[in-house]
Amino acid sequence: MPYTIPIGPFHPALEEPYKVNVKCVAETVQQVSVDVGFSFRGIELMAQRREWVPDVTLIERVCGICSNVHAMTFCHAAEQIAGIEVPARARYIRTVISELERLHSHLLWAGLAAEFMGFQTLFMEVFTLREQVMDLLETISGNRVNYGMNRIGGVNRDIMDPKSAIDTVQAMAKVIEKDVVPAFMNNITAKGRMGGVGPLTKEHAIEWAVVGPVARASGLAIDVRDDHPYLAYQELGFKIVTQPEGDVRARVVVRALELLESIRLITEALNNLPSGPLRAFEGMPAIPPGEAVVLTEAPRGEVVYYVASDGGRTPARVKIRTPSFVNIPALEAMTMGQQLGNISLIQASVDPCLSCTDR
Amino acid sequence: MEQTDGTIVRADLVAALAAIPGSAPVEERGAGLWISAPRLDVEAMAREMKALGCRLVTMTGLACDDGETTIIYHYALHHDTINFKTATSGNAIRSIALLVRPASWSEREIHDFFATDFIGHPNLVPLIRPPELKDGFFRDPDPGSITPDKP
Repeated sequence: MPYTIPIGPFHPALEEPYKVNVKCVAETVQQVSVDVGFSFRGIELMAQRREWVPDVTLIERVCGICSNVHAMTFCHAAEQIAGIEVPARARYIRTVISELERLHSHLLWAGLAAEFMGFQTLFMEVFTLREQVMDLLETISGNRVNYGMNRIGGVNRDIMDPKSAIDTVQAMAKVIEKDVVPAFMNNITAKGRMGGVGPLTKEHAIEWAVVGPVARASGLAIDVRDDHPYLAYQELGFKIVTQPEGDVRARVVVRALELLESIRLITEALNNLPSGPLRAFEGMPAIPPGEAVVLTEAPRGEVVYYVASDGGRTPARVKIRTPSFVNIPALEAMTMGQQLGNISLIQASVDPCLSCTDR
Repeated sequence: MEQTDGTIVRADLVAALAAIPGSAPVEERGAGLWISAPRLDVEAMAREMKALGCRLVTMTGLACDDGETTIIYHYALHHDTINFKTATSGNAIRSIALLVRPASWSEREIHDFFATDFIGHPNLVPLIRPPELKDGFFRDPDPGSITPDKP
């Protein structure tokens, strides 16, 4: 006889609230529906009532993990409307912070994935690495979470010691290559626990329009850094990581391999850091009437901002579409026919961010 | 129409976009293509964009002073972004949720913010609107002043 289990909104594995209603027959999932909106903050509305400069600070609070990408994308949109060209050094610094943020996010997720599998030693190893990334971000920006690096027209702070930052990420690369990637790719526990679980075929990935590592793990070679190059990605070269299987293991492997690509990008950017100013101007120019759509690649996937200006002191419209907003609904496809006991792992494999989704 | 790498020749893409019922001339602006078409047949657009292999990225709602809502459908195709801007009539417009899955949450969100009716949406219930606020609270000059009803 079918029965329904409500999982959430207060979740055993996630700190953020959302609800998954799971309908089962015996232990097999027949249907899933997702409820979000438990932590709505009205950031879009607030952004339309504050001035452009404080908006950068506000929008950095859309997400606690990928805070930088939100502030940066909003700045891109304002810069596009106003025709502001960001200096080369600032573009490279934004690239470095973006990739450090991706390292931080992917390592956080990898650690949690290890814990969900019951792989405690890997969890400790990964969280040690994550701590090193956060220390580096703190050294550069003075902050561990909301870095405050972006301003309209450039960045607020320089990277004072690129060599030390390179040494740190290169030391991390050795551990990731030697321990973390093999553990997720080859360890018998990891393979057995994640292989074939929560599949999303390439056709379903297209149908649900998923983005980021979730899409790439289903064989879709989409990444804003390659499709719509911004910052210094075109100059640095960029290699998309994909896996064809579409299961939880493939999502883990994509993120693990992306750690190495991020470290390569950080190293290249720091080795080739251009000289010059950090910002296009001092103060804040008026943003003329206009509108812009800007896409960037956050750790969880494509972020989209639509920003409109009527020439006033505040934006006329700020629309934010986060990657979790399109990845979470695809849980319906990933969980169909799966075992009830795998639901937590499948949910986690999407790396859902409810702070982002609800805004 | 397709090049050897699977991408569509820009001129062919522009012609296909302009041929959608109710469409308008395609304008290249910023980093994307823009079509401002107040009488756009959104269901025909959804079908044609699917046939072209375009991905619906998101939808944006914008409140108009006359109570209508401007709806922008943002699509991505390889290295292009394509934006259709259209308008509601009586603050209502046909839903494309049954044709394009990711439209479902976008339409529910716009319904939350602007009280727009998406005709034919299979489940137009609140997505992220707090229960103490009413549909269309983005139009309210001071939505923060609304307090929950006392029992």
